Amino acid sequence: MPHCQPEQLALAALHEPLPADDAAHLGSCAECRAEVAGLQRAVGAVAVPEFAEPGPPVAPPASVWAGIAAATGVQAAPGAHAHAAPAAEAPSAPVGATAPVDAGGQVLPLRRSRRPVLLIAAAAVTGAVVGAGAVALVQGDESLEPLTTVALEPLDGEPASGRAEVVVRPDGSRALEVDLDAPAVEDAYYEVWLIEPGIVEMVPLGVLRPGTQTLELPTGLDLAAYPIVDVSVEPLDGDPAHSGVSVARGQLES
Amino acid sequence: MTGLLDRAARLGSVGTVNSEPVPAPSGAAEPDDAEVGRRFAAGDEQALALAYERWAGQLHGMAVRAFGPGPDAEDVTQQTFISAWTGRARYRPEQGPLPAWLVGVCRHKIADAWARRDRMRREAEAAVSEAQATPAGGTTPPVDSVVTDRMLVLEELERLGQPQRGIIELAFFADLTHAQISERTGIPLGTVKSHIRRTLERLRTRLEVDGAALPA
Ligand SMILES: [Zn+2]
Repeated sequence: MPHCQPEQLALAALHEPLPADDAAHLGSCAECRAEVAGLQRAVGAVAVPEFAEPGPPVAPPASVWAGIAAATGVQAAPGAHAHAAPAAEAPSAPVGATAPVDAGGQVLPLRRSRRPVLLIAAAAVTGAVVGAGAVALVQGDESLEPLTTVALEPLDGEPASGRAEVVVRPDGSRALEVDLDAPAVEDAYYEVWLIEPGIVEMVPLGVLRPGTQTLELPTGLDLAAYPIVDVSVEPLDGDPAHSGVSVARGQLES
Repeated sequence: MTGLLDRAARLGSVGTVNSEPVPAPSGAAEPDDAEVGRRFAAGDEQALALAYERWAGQLHGMAVRAFGPGPDAEDVTQQTFISAWTGRARYRPEQGPLPAWLVGVCRHKIADAWARRDRMRREAEAAVSEAQATPAGGTTPPVDSVVTDRMLVLEELERLGQPQRGIIELAFFADLTHAQISERTGIPLGTVKSHIRRTLERLRTRLEVDGAALPA
């Protein structure tokens, strides 16, 4: 019986099934098998799951762009186009370049563009009215009893900790009461965020001082979708995005 | 005060979305992916920012899949963009879309990281065997030949023209059969097969010439 066609042996090297007669020949011919093995060396080297086509996206932390901007000297910043709204004066400095990413604290993956965050927030808002998570949370509607309380644990030994409570007022509006035990920071401030479990989408709740304060929760926000309460340190750089430096976190249970 | 202004701006944005749940169509001024690719190749800095905005998530997803979340993955993503930007002369827009090319660069960076780990492992093992003075053989542990092969193959893939490169990448990385590749690309079955054969031969030659000798 003749040897297999070279093309067939190449396909065999790629682990494609061969027609029956080729397969039978390959089983009995050491020469053809050696040919397949020779071609297979390259296949085996790169046919690894890590090299497969990209799967689900993961937003890199702000420090990644800061490093790129520093290394390339590029002045443009991602997200500038997403900020066509009047309030957003596009920053000329690279976004996140001044974030104190080396000052310790947990660097978390962040989406650079604000636009997707807002779109997801919109989806959460429209869906939350009838969302199971929202219904479960708003059951205790009549009282100011906390619906859920979460301890804010320090990240990476940061000297920040505390407690956050979701409360519902008689009119049905909700707020987050935060008790933060942390030192005052210079040229920076603390900010509270609600973040989804994938740590990509997030809702900013506002500026926080050490001590106790109450922050409004956006009407209709599905807390089950954004269960992570995150306290970040934000530099006074005018960049509204999360700095990537978190000092304390807890997870709401619903 | 800046912080309070930030906050106002943010709450304003959320409010806007709240009252207008239908996402507005992106502005006409927004360049499409092909345009971003052409501007990237031409050295337009804004195109680097746009490329990052559009594809950093995908690339970082790859890096995280390989190394888990953290500094190793972040380094891969960062190096991918730095290297793509400084080596943008190698990107030819007419040869394929920019995101596909960036994915190729990202594979290189992942392979680089593996090679560094392999080197560190060998150095550590060499130190241990030296300390123990094993009688069996105190030589430096061998380079992991797969690590070297991987770099060589990725390098050689970069040198391939189209459609050869696209075809073999679909076979390697999208796990498509030659029939599926033919269907996907519209290239005749016989042509796909002969490109695959010739590319695998070319890769084999490269490994034979530059790769580590395999144990007989
Ligand atoms: Zn044979």
